[in-house]
Amino acid sequence: MSNSMPDSHTILRETWLNGTTLLAYPNLTSPAVYFTGYMQPGAIEDADELHGLVSFTTDMLMTGTKHLNFQRLHDKIESIGASLSIGTGHLSTTFVGQCLREDLETVWNLLVEIVQQPAFAEKQFKRVRNQILTGIAIQNQDTATMASQAFNRAIYGSHPYAHPDIGYAQSFSGLRLEQLESFHANHYGPKGLVLAVCGGIAPEMARDIFARTLGAWQNKTQTSPKTLPPFTPPASSIRSHTTLEEKKQSDLIIGVPAPKTVSRDYQVCSLGNTILGRYGMMGRIGKVVREKAGLSYEVSSHLGAGIGPTAWKIVAGVNPENLEKAISLLRQEILRFYTEPVTPQELQDVKTQALGRLPLSLETNAGIASILVSIERYGYGLDYLRQLPALIESITAEEILAAAQRYWDLDKLVIASAGKALQ
Amino acid sequence: MSINLNHNLHQAQLKNGLRVMLKEIHTAPVTSTWIWYGIGSRNELPGKTGLSHWVEHMQFKGTRKFTSEDIDNLVSRVGGYSNAFTSPDWTTYFETMPSAHLHATLELEADRMVNSLFDPVEVETERTVIISEREGSENYPEFRLDEAVQLRSFQAHPYRHEVLGFKGDLISISRDDLFEHYRQYYQPANAILCIAGDISPESVLEDVENLFGSIPPAPLIRSIPSPEKALTPGDTVELEGPGEAHYLEIAWRCPAANDPDFFAYSIIESLLSGPSSLNMFGSGGISNRTSRLYQALVEEDYAASVFGDLSANIDPGVYKVFATIRPDGDPWAALKIVDEQVSRITSSELSVREIERAIKQARALFAYGSDNITNQGFWMGYASSFADYQWFAEYLTRLSSVTPSQVLKTAQKYLPADQRVVGIYRASKMQEQA
Repeated sequence: MSNSMPDSHTILRETWLNGTTLLAYPNLTSPAVYFTGYMQPGAIEDADELHGLVSFTTDMLMTGTKHLNFQRLHDKIESIGASLSIGTGHLSTTFVGQCLREDLETVWNLLVEIVQQPAFAEKQFKRVRNQILTGIAIQNQDTATMASQAFNRAIYGSHPYAHPDIGYAQSFSGLRLEQLESFHANHYGPKGLVLAVCGGIAPEMARDIFARTLGAWQNKTQTSPKTLPPFTPPASSIRSHTTLEEKKQSDLIIGVPAPKTVSRDYQVCSLGNTILGRYGMMGRIGKVVREKAGLSYEVSSHLGAGIGPTAWKIVAGVNPENLEKAISLLRQEILRFYTEPVTPQELQDVKTQALGRLPLSLETNAGIASILVSIERYGYGLDYLRQLPALIESITAEEILAAAQRYWDLDKLVIASAGKALQ
Repeated sequence: MSINLNHNLHQAQLKNGLRVMLKEIHTAPVTSTWIWYGIGSRNELPGKTGLSHWVEHMQFKGTRKFTSEDIDNLVSRVGGYSNAFTSPDWTTYFETMPSAHLHATLELEADRMVNSLFDPVEVETERTVIISEREGSENYPEFRLDEAVQLRSFQAHPYRHEVLGFKGDLISISRDDLFEHYRQYYQPANAILCIAGDISPESVLEDVENLFGSIPPAPLIRSIPSPEKALTPGDTVELEGPGEAHYLEIAWRCPAANDPDFFAYSIIESLLSGPSSLNMFGSGGISNRTSRLYQALVEEDYAASVFGDLSANIDPGVYKVFATIRPDGDPWAALKIVDEQVSRITSSELSVREIERAIKQARALFAYGSDNITNQGFWMGYASSFADYQWFAEYLTRLSSVTPSQVLKTAQKYLPADQRVVGIYRASKMQEQA
């Protein structure tokens, strides 16, 4: 991999008339190529009574095309050692793939065929539905998923992000194959598709292959995506617990709405979050809850990123008997976080960490491709990686405190847990 | 395309027995340092299970020179990342850092090879952390089933217990047990230091000699278990517990990684349940939708998913297949399908095309792992823990030399009808209350 930082001089970015965008960066020492990206639609297109329709339609894409049945499609992918998967996010359908460089055109041709001409076979419809229902049933007994779903319901309220992308079991009872076919025809298309590729292929060669494949996709019936409704944060604390008896460990989430991803506040809070629950052995909360109290193997904080509302949350897995004690310790740390500035040493540590991590995050094809996608999604600009160090350096302890005070408030925490009944 | 893993590889051994493997990769200003100890749950005795894993946790608690905070800071401050893993066969610690900080990681590893404190207060705090780690795993039916199948797959060999150890042992293990384990096995003659990345081998070797060369070797007395042979025909374990899906797990004996049969077995695995990746970091895998078991179980609606696991171990272990069965499905019907597919493998030769396909998949998986310096550091020590680095370097060549008749013979040797352990977890539905 080149030691130079990807920037406007080295990243190839090109848009096509059909609404697609390609970002390519070379790593010619690699015999492999990694690509990732997103396209319309996302789960927000789900109608109220049909949560999971988008996710189901996306799952059907990989079950065969008009020309290749399930077996033949996957034989083409697996026999060359490639991988290709497609999933559903709130706002987009995401895809990721990897192959040897000589197979890139084969794989992109397959991707085009998969998204343009899915077979929607009746047998696969029934099978995928059963798989989704099994997946939902398993999730319903998983403490981490149940805590997460309860947290999302509480924090997002009437906003569409309150619902899991996979949907609910009851949504699937009356769902017909034709609904999926119709949805596919009107929503999946080239407009808004972004693909980032990195690996052992020259960007110009990747551009030529893209032009012959995804760059040539047309769908005149593709509709515009829904506009995100406004988000109203919870006005007061919300506490929920989902009882799953016979579980040895309870999962806990404590959080608040996060700053917008495209904002200075986000970068400021990102450094603050590292101090709170990431740095070293899971930051301040790791020290208190794991290292000193020995209450939890896993306790950390996460600052969500995305278009639209996201959450800033602390997650922990604890013995049911220690649940309230863990909440109490975490509340103390949250209060400290928004009432006292971080120390000069803490700030210096996380700054040097963020700056040092930059080259490490560019170590692999996957790391670079993922950053290129973020650059495009959030409109950071191709010189983002060059500008980031100065931005990080400029953040002060006072800014972190002020930002923490804007988002954290002990009287407005959303607390969700799942596990044994509360005592 | 070929990947020459021996390119820029340098090996040495210090007088105290420490083996050193260095691999120059100048694609990024990054180094990944790994230290491997030849100790894992394989060497643990009844009543003391989980010792190796717990010692691994204690290695982050500090020495006189490096407090636990210093250890965190050393890596985190410069944007590096680090972790440690305990397996049945080995325990390993790694730090991936900007290459300018290599000396600091070597200093840390040399110091904690012999100077960790094992403070009694820290031991007690960590006891509850490890029990919490185990309880987190016990939340999952798959873990409980796997633990039961593992126990049936080995009569006496320590592969029978989970690396985490039995909860009863975790309650009774003392600080002295941990410290004794540490003193015995953390020493240069039982270690391999592997560094991959942006290095100058001569100067790194000099640094290693200065930091590690004076650590005295100690006599290495280890419990070496006898490998186990065939599984008990018809052995079945059934569990019932909360859940919304049933699980089926089947275990067959598999050869040690260093056994020539392992390569033919890898092709069997690739065909039956899809190829396993030998990469540990950020390189992805290949789906298994055209594997025979996926086709027969998932495509025909006997199971919602299926995957397999063949690990490279010092002693013969088990190859496992896991299937998730819908609540209205029948694990026994799924087992019958698995047996039919295994019978196909043991009764007729594969085509050359099927073998070639498995080789191409393995080549792709190697390529995916090769752009990651951390993974390159991992490969050196991992292969050396059960064989030597040539095992990796020659992996694709040895796989390519496997013939259809070798695959058939290997299948007949390890997968005879009924000679497997079957585990079934039946879900008894739980009530969820919000």
